[in-house]
This record gives sequence, C-alpha cells and structure tokens, in this order.
Amino acid sequence: MKAKSKWLAIFLVLGLILAACGGDGGTDETTTSAESTDTTEDMTSTTEGDMTSTTAGGAGEIATDVGVDLEAGTITVGLLSDLSGVFSSLVQIIVTGHEVYWEQVNANGGIGGLEVVVNPVDTAYDPPTHVQRYEELKDEVVAFGHSTGSPHTVAINDQLQADGILAIPLTWYSGWSDDAINANLLHHGVPYCLESMNIIGYLKDMMGDGLQTIAIASNPGDYGLDSHEGAVLAAEALGLEVVYEGREAINAADEATLTEVANGIVQSGADLAYVTTSPTAFSTIFGTALAQGYQGTWSGAGPSYNPAFIAPDSPIKDAIAASTYWSAYYGLWGMDTPGVQEATQLLTDSGRVEVPVSAYFEGFVEAQIMHAALEQAYANGDMTQAGVLAAAKSLENVALDGLGPDETYVGANNDQVQRASAAIWRPDPEALASGESAGEEVLETDYTNAITEAYEFNEACYSLEG
Amino acid sequence: MRGRPMLYTRYETDQALMNTGTKKLMLALFLVFLILVPLGVIPGVDFLAQDEWLRLLSEVSIYGIAALGLNVLTGLAGQVSLGHAFFMGVGAYTAAWLGAAPGPFNGLGLPIWIWLPAAGIVAAVIGVAVGPTAVRVRGLYLAFVTLGLVFVGEYVFRNWTSLTGGAQTGRTFPPLEFRLWKEETPLIDFVSDGPWFGIELSGEAKTYYLLAVFAIVFVVLSKNLQRTRVGRAFQSIRDRDVAAEIMGVNEAKYKLIAFGISSFYAGIGGALLASFVGRMIPEQWNLFLSVEIIAIVLIGGAGVVTGTILGSVFVILLPRIVEDVTHGLAAIVVEGSGPIAWIGDLFISTGLDDFGFVNTQAGVAPGLSIPQFNQVLYGLLIILFLIFEPLGLYGIWLRIRNYWKGWPFTY
Repeated sequence: MKAKSKWLAIFLVLGLILAACGGDGGTDETTTSAESTDTTEDMTSTTEGDMTSTTAGGAGEIATDVGVDLEAGTITVGLLSDLSGVFSSLVQIIVTGHEVYWEQVNANGGIGGLEVVVNPVDTAYDPPTHVQRYEELKDEVVAFGHSTGSPHTVAINDQLQADGILAIPLTWYSGWSDDAINANLLHHGVPYCLESMNIIGYLKDMMGDGLQTIAIASNPGDYGLDSHEGAVLAAEALGLEVVYEGREAINAADEATLTEVANGIVQSGADLAYVTTSPTAFSTIFGTALAQGYQGTWSGAGPSYNPAFIAPDSPIKDAIAASTYWSAYYGLWGMDTPGVQEATQLLTDSGRVEVPVSAYFEGFVEAQIMHAALEQAYANGDMTQAGVLAAAKSLENVALDGLGPDETYVGANNDQVQRASAAIWRPDPEALASGESAGEEVLETDYTNAITEAYEFNEACYSLEG
Repeated sequence: MRGRPMLYTRYETDQALMNTGTKKLMLALFLVFLILVPLGVIPGVDFLAQDEWLRLLSEVSIYGIAALGLNVLTGLAGQVSLGHAFFMGVGAYTAAWLGAAPGPFNGLGLPIWIWLPAAGIVAAVIGVAVGPTAVRVRGLYLAFVTLGLVFVGEYVFRNWTSLTGGAQTGRTFPPLEFRLWKEETPLIDFVSDGPWFGIELSGEAKTYYLLAVFAIVFVVLSKNLQRTRVGRAFQSIRDRDVAAEIMGVNEAKYKLIAFGISSFYAGIGGALLASFVGRMIPEQWNLFLSVEIIAIVLIGGAGVVTGTILGSVFVILLPRIVEDVTHGLAAIVVEGSGPIAWIGDLFISTGLDDFGFVNTQAGVAPGLSIPQFNQVLYGLLIILFLIFEPLGLYGIWLRIRNYWKGWPFTY
C-alpha cells in the first residue's frame, strides 16, 4: 500500500507541475486545456490574418506575410539548390549568378527600397532532402528562385499549391509549361522537347539531303525522355527515318549500356546521332563510335555537353568541334546581345568569375524573372507569398534583352511555351584555349525552327505524372 | 520485502515489459511528452512544433520502424544484412501498386489498411523466399549475399517502369489517408491542415501523430518478441549457433523467421517513407540507405529496442544539428574574436582561401559540404562505437543510470 500511495503522490505532484507549465501563466488551473487550445487557435489565426501586416510603402500600402520584412527592409528569396549532389558544380555557378544579379539590384535601390536576400540551401539532389528543405524554407521566404531537379520539384508541387508559394524549376522539362501541373511554377528557356526540334530542324536546313536518317538514344527520366519525344516528333515532321532508337537505353553507371548504344549508332550508319545523356556518358559513346569509324553528325540536349570535351588536352576535341552542334537555353558567354554584355560586365566586376562559363547567365535569367514578379507584386501592393505568385502569373512579358528569349506567363499552354533557343552553336577549342570565351561559336541567336513554330503544344511531351 | 528494486517473486514480473515502477513512470511521461510536442506548449522544446522539426520527428519514427527490423535480424539473431534498403523498396512499391490512384503507373487505389500491411507481408514473403540462400552462409558471405540484393533490387526498380516510374523519374505514392474503401473524401486525412477534436493542427502534426503511433506499436511488438520462444531462439543462434542447434533450436527455420520479420518491418518502413515523402526515384533504395539503417542499429546499440530508438533519433537529427552548429560556429568565426572563433576557424572554411574541413556554402569555399561531412561522420561514428562502446548509446545510458543508481557510492 505504502509504495502505491507514494507513486500516486509523485504522479499527482508531477501532474500539477505539468498543469502549471501548460497553463502559460494562467490563473485558473482547471482551464488549462481550454487555454492551450486557445493559444493554438490564436497562433493559426495569426499566421493567416494578423501577421499579414500592412504598412505605408513607396507605392502605398504593402501587404506582407512571409519573407518580406518591411522594418528590416529585406525580401528573402529561397533557392533549393543542389550544392553537393551530381549537378553541384553547375548549380553552384548558377547560385553565384543569382547573388551577383541581386547585389546589383540592391545597389540600385532594390525593390521599392527593399533589399533582396537570397537564401540557398543544399538539397543534395535527393527528393526526401528536397522536401525537407522546402519545409524549412517555406516559413522564411517569399518565393523560391529555383528548385533543382524535375522529380524533386514534382515532389514539392502539391505542397507549393497548398501553401500558395511560387517556384522556378531549374530544369527544362516541357511539363513546366503545362497548366495541368504548373499552377505555382514558372517555366523558362526552351524545354528539352522543343529544343530537340530546334536543333534537328536547324541541322536539316543546314545539311539538306545529307540528313536522311537519325539515331536517337536517351537517358531515363524526364530529361532523357522529354528530349527523346522531341527528337521523334522532329524526325516525323522532317520525314527522317529513325534507324536506331535507344529509348532510356543509357545508364551512365553501367559501361555496357554505353557500348551497346555506341554499337547501335555505328551499325545504323545514321546521318545524325541525337544522344541525350550526361557529359560523361556522351563522351564515352562518342569516343566508342568514333573508334569504330562512325562519320555522322552529333547532337543532343544541352546538358549532354561539357566544355571539358574541347579542353586543350582532350583527345576528342577536334572530332567534337568538327561534328557536334548544340542549342542553348540561355545566352552564351561573349554573345553580342545587350543582356549578355551587361551580365558579363557585372560578373567580371564582381571578381567572382574564375573561368568564363555561360551557366552564370542561367542564374541571371532566373533572378530576372523573379525580379519581374517581385516588382509586379510591389506595384500591386501585395507582397505576400500568394501575392507574388499572382503577380508572377500575370506577367505578360519578361524582357531578358537577349540573355535568354523573352518569357510570358499568360495564355494557353501553346501561347506560353518557350519555342526559341537562346542560341545554336558549335564548340570552338581555340576560343576556349585562349580563355576569352567558354569555347562556343554562335551560329544563330534567338532561334526558332519552322517545325517548332508549327508544333501545337497542348501538354507535356512526356508525362511526369502518376 | 515489497517495494525493493530488482527483487522479483514471480516469473511474470521478472519478464514484464515494464519491470520497474520507474520505467512505467518514465514511459508515461514520455508519452505525454510525445503528445504535447506538436502543440508547442513544452517550455524549452517548443521549437519542435515547427513543421520542419515535426517532419524530422516523423522521419525518426519511420527510420525507427525500419531499424527495429534490422535490429531483430542483426541485434537479436546476429545475422549481418546490407539488404535492408531492398526490402524497404519492395514495401514501398507494394504500397504504390495497391494504394496509389490508378494512372500511368500501376495503382489500384485501395485504402491504407490494405496497402500498409500488404507492404510488410510482401516484403516478408520475399525475405523468406531469398532466405534459403542466406541461411546457408554467415558472416562476411552473408554480407555479400545481401549486398547483392540491393544491386539486383536497384536494377529491377530502375527498369520496371510501369510500377516504379523508371530511373531518375520515380512516381507518386499513396498519401497517408484513412479510407474505409475507395470513397472520394477520406475518413481521416493525415496530411492537410484542420482541426482534430477542436484543436487546430497542421498536416505535419497529424502525420507526426500517426507515425508516432505506428512506431509505438512496432516498438511494443519488437520488445515483446525478445521474450518469446522465437526471440530466445534468435539470441541463442546469435550467441553460438552450434550450441543452439545442439539444444534443439532449428537454426535454418529460425534464421528464416528472422529474415521474414526483419523484412516485414523494412517493408512497412519503406512504404511509410515513400508515402511520407510523396515521390521517390528508384535509385533511392540504395546501399547508402542500408548503411544509414545499420548506423542507427549500431550507434544506438545492437539488440536493444531502446537503443534502436535512441539511434534513430540520433542519426536523423544529427545532420540538422551539425548544420545548425556549423552555421552558428561560422557566424562566430566570421566575427573573429575569442578562442571559440580560433578553434572554429580550424574546422570551418569561410572563404576561398580559408582552410577547413567543412564549409557552410558548398562550392564557394574548400572542404566538405555539410551533407558530405555527415556521411563521413556516420562512418566515423560506426567505427568509434564498435571499438569503444559496442552497446552504443544504450551502453552510455546504462552507465549513466548505474552511476546514479549507486550514487554516492561507485558501485
């Protein structure tokens, strides 16, 4: 009995202590539970209503909720970046592009006097980490300046819609121009699918009867398959015969698949080999086919290429320069457009550029689109997360001055989708060796092929749903 | 005589799950703590009520369930397995096939009370099916057999596009919603914000509660398993398999059972993880996931349920804590005064020319990024624990407990 009553006493005392703590300084212990309920409800209503403070700004009353601090004078934009995963070297450059762009905007008065701060976090190109990072940032930022990776972005898409936050996907998947999934997303640059049409169309125009047959091979995933679909559509539109098709046939981790694809291309004897994969896999396939005497022309989606192909010590540099053609999503280093010249100046002045790489411009393009959205939201007097989203979705024209093709976010899928490649180019080892440019010889700027123009874009070429 | 600690007059009390009053009280307090966490009313840890922390805690539950499975196999039955990620994948894709809405990929749209148990059962069946190969070997060879499973599994997952969505693409998984059958609106929805019993809760809080309940159920099952005939058979095989057989323990049979149970837990864990994240790519079920689960078991303390729970809390929260500490330290280093800044500077690189093991912004400064540093840390911790504290965090806890039990005497 004694032991039992002792425990009972301890339990009661602890219960009282707990109740006192939970009461949050309340006077009456019996209402503890009711009070804590109230607190929770208060907190919720705060997030929805009270925290949406309004204050007199340059353009009148500005409504804010998350990520815009009028007292501190800052706007925080989140970046879901792959800083340590497979695309880290590329994404780090893009993040620098963002930072340099906003430094200049802030130096020139920011947005209505508010300074823009970017907050990059590392998603390691891993969907669970991506989702976790999103959760961490969603209560700190007004919008996401980029979100690296397609499956990763799709993984947070439902949450973005539930929370009413805007994000710019850092991939060129055609689904971002499809209103079935892009309610909270802004596409930019020519999608993989239409990119294939542009470059294959360009090569057909250039080669004429010299281009009759095509070999297509791709990585799995939205990247490979979206690009693959585009190549198949282009072949249809141009009347090319598909003599080899390696859909999803490339697994960069498995050497055997690369040899198989290379053999397939050589045996088909295609006039054009269109290979969408990683740079490592592309160079292996290219080298293997070359060793077997393949003489055709090569191309593929932009990310298949790497400047290292034409580095001074690269054994394939001459072959790459002689037989490959590429399309660009954003401007190229040294290109003669006002946007590129201005960005180049800023980057050079910032002292953060060691080697000229065009990928910095991708950061600029993303930041400029976000800039337009924030300006519009500021003009509307609504800089809440939902306000920025609404403002972004009302942008009729984001002029990029040749840093990339101009973008629009109103109208049907077919009106919105970006058809223009920022450039068509071929590698130039000598220019790279001289250190003046990234080794890209520009053949066309702001290029849209006739077959791309004629293509009716109603939905993503390849569906990432399900 | 009554009320004396460690004195048991009946076999049942000796074998009870909660054999002392202190344990019962601590458990009760812990449960109250778990319930109050999302309400943010506990002073000092009210930050845990934020969505990001609730998600981490939910992840602790999920990894905890999966690790409990490995704990049965490795900790109780003494069999090494690197194949846990494969069984998690099997569970996840079973869940997807049965539970996901019909669409471009296989999906039957069945409710959670079918897909979740099925995820465990299918994984267990496959575990038992591959078991006969595994029970014939032990030690290093068993590690290789199970290692092979991960790679075979990854190959199948990558290429079975109609089910898994294909490499680099992945697919969506059924959400955490309770339906009686295929009705339009779920009976209970664990993912969207809304009131429960008059208390306004975020979706993250609801998910947390659901997963905490699952974790508790599996902890109890696992704890209970140790004191059954099967559990004792496992331990005898672990301690000396030849002796166990001489005593009449059917080694092959019990090893198969261990594989089955372990895979069941893995299947459930995998299904919950996929459902929790919402979208997984097939490459996710890889060796590193297996290693993470092994880290949980070894760091926590192999063979002890409490250890596995401690291990999952530690391993899941570690990256976050490392990150916060690194950023905090970096702020001090940049300010640049005091001994902490000096020591921190050796560790963290803040600029292009600054030496350090870890950088706060990957790519800008030399050194490892925080996620890379975490992977190194897992490996280091596994080695250090195996050498210095084979009982893991649980061993450390035991020593602390025993110190205070005897206080002020040393023993």
